[in-house]
Amino acid sequence: MKTVKGRPSLFPSSLQKWPWGSILTVGTTVAVLVLIVNDEGAMQWIQTALATITAGILTLFGHAAVVAGSTVQTDVFGISVVTACTGLFTTGLYVIAVLAFPARWRARAIGLAMGIGGIFVLNLIRLVSLYFIGVHFPGVLDLAHQGIWQAVFIVFAVVLWLLWAGRWGRARRPASKVVS
Amino acid sequence: MMQMAKRLGLFIGIFLAVLISLTALWSAVVPAVTRLVAACAAPVFRLVEAENVTHVFAQGDQLWVYRAVSSHQIAPFTWFDRYTFFAVVPLIALLVATPGLRIVGRLWRLAAGCAVLLAAHVVLLVLQVELAYAAVGLSRVWMLGTWQVVVRIAWEAAPIVVWVALTARVWKRWLGNVWKRQQARTGARGPMHASLAESEEG
Repeated sequence: MKTVKGRPSLFPSSLQKWPWGSILTVGTTVAVLVLIVNDEGAMQWIQTALATITAGILTLFGHAAVVAGSTVQTDVFGISVVTACTGLFTTGLYVIAVLAFPARWRARAIGLAMGIGGIFVLNLIRLVSLYFIGVHFPGVLDLAHQGIWQAVFIVFAVVLWLLWAGRWGRARRPASKVVS
Repeated sequence: MMQMAKRLGLFIGIFLAVLISLTALWSAVVPAVTRLVAACAAPVFRLVEAENVTHVFAQGDQLWVYRAVSSHQIAPFTWFDRYTFFAVVPLIALLVATPGLRIVGRLWRLAAGCAVLLAAHVVLLVLQVELAYAAVGLSRVWMLGTWQVVVRIAWEAAPIVVWVALTARVWKRWLGNVWKRQQARTGARGPMHASLAESEEG
């Protein structure tokens, strides 16, 4: 049986090889995500907040918008912010990728701030752009909404994570010695 | 850092070019993709249902799910639109844009990635329909809300997970090179700069 030097283990070596930290991180993050999405109050708050900010940005662009619940409405067009439009799932995946990667906690905090902030801003750009696409090019709204923007979210999260991992994600822990 | 940004810029550029090209072709290929998913999903429904009540049909670019309402009659239950299986497009774009792969390796990964994503979509489709039955009271599922969220996360995560599984080694090597260059640079600038960089990096 393999043991970590100076510390005999109760668990067989096959179980010790499993990335328990990463498994725990994925499980916890998914559980938190499920709790948030299933909490109607929390989701309503997130959706209304996003709708309010989007309405504010549209008003800045000269399209006076009002918010009713999680719907942003102007004289010409309206968009509804539903759960899938909150960017929560992409954020959750990014959080899992950062937390599961071997790095110091300070580096992880930087990664989380970068990702959560970046995805939030990109989501606002997405909502505003979808409004303008709906107004000017309604024929491609579905394509932009369900196709292009989903793909852009994926590549954005991936590139952000690679930037973080390349710059801050390097693990500096000394490797534990394993003896047979 | 500059080299890393350049590399990632190229990655984004190729990704977007492939994404736009394939998106332009999507209308032409989506009926075939929908037919393929329907053909694969039908036996899975037969496998998971004690009494096969679900029938799937590709109708143009939409996938329709019918449910048996009597022994001789089926009625439409729900449908999936033309973008339900669109995730194959970003997956292909990610695999084409991934640096450091040879042609054979890239082609192998494209084939394997599309096959695995198709399988994932079939499984998720079946799960989503079975959960929808429970949601309208046609069956019972323990912790229904939780499973619905998990399936939604899985729809989103599927292309990324497949891509990561197929290219993890490439990116590990790439990150290793980035870190080596960083280390060489901080080392070359002397101990004071190195320690500053160290504290910056946390």
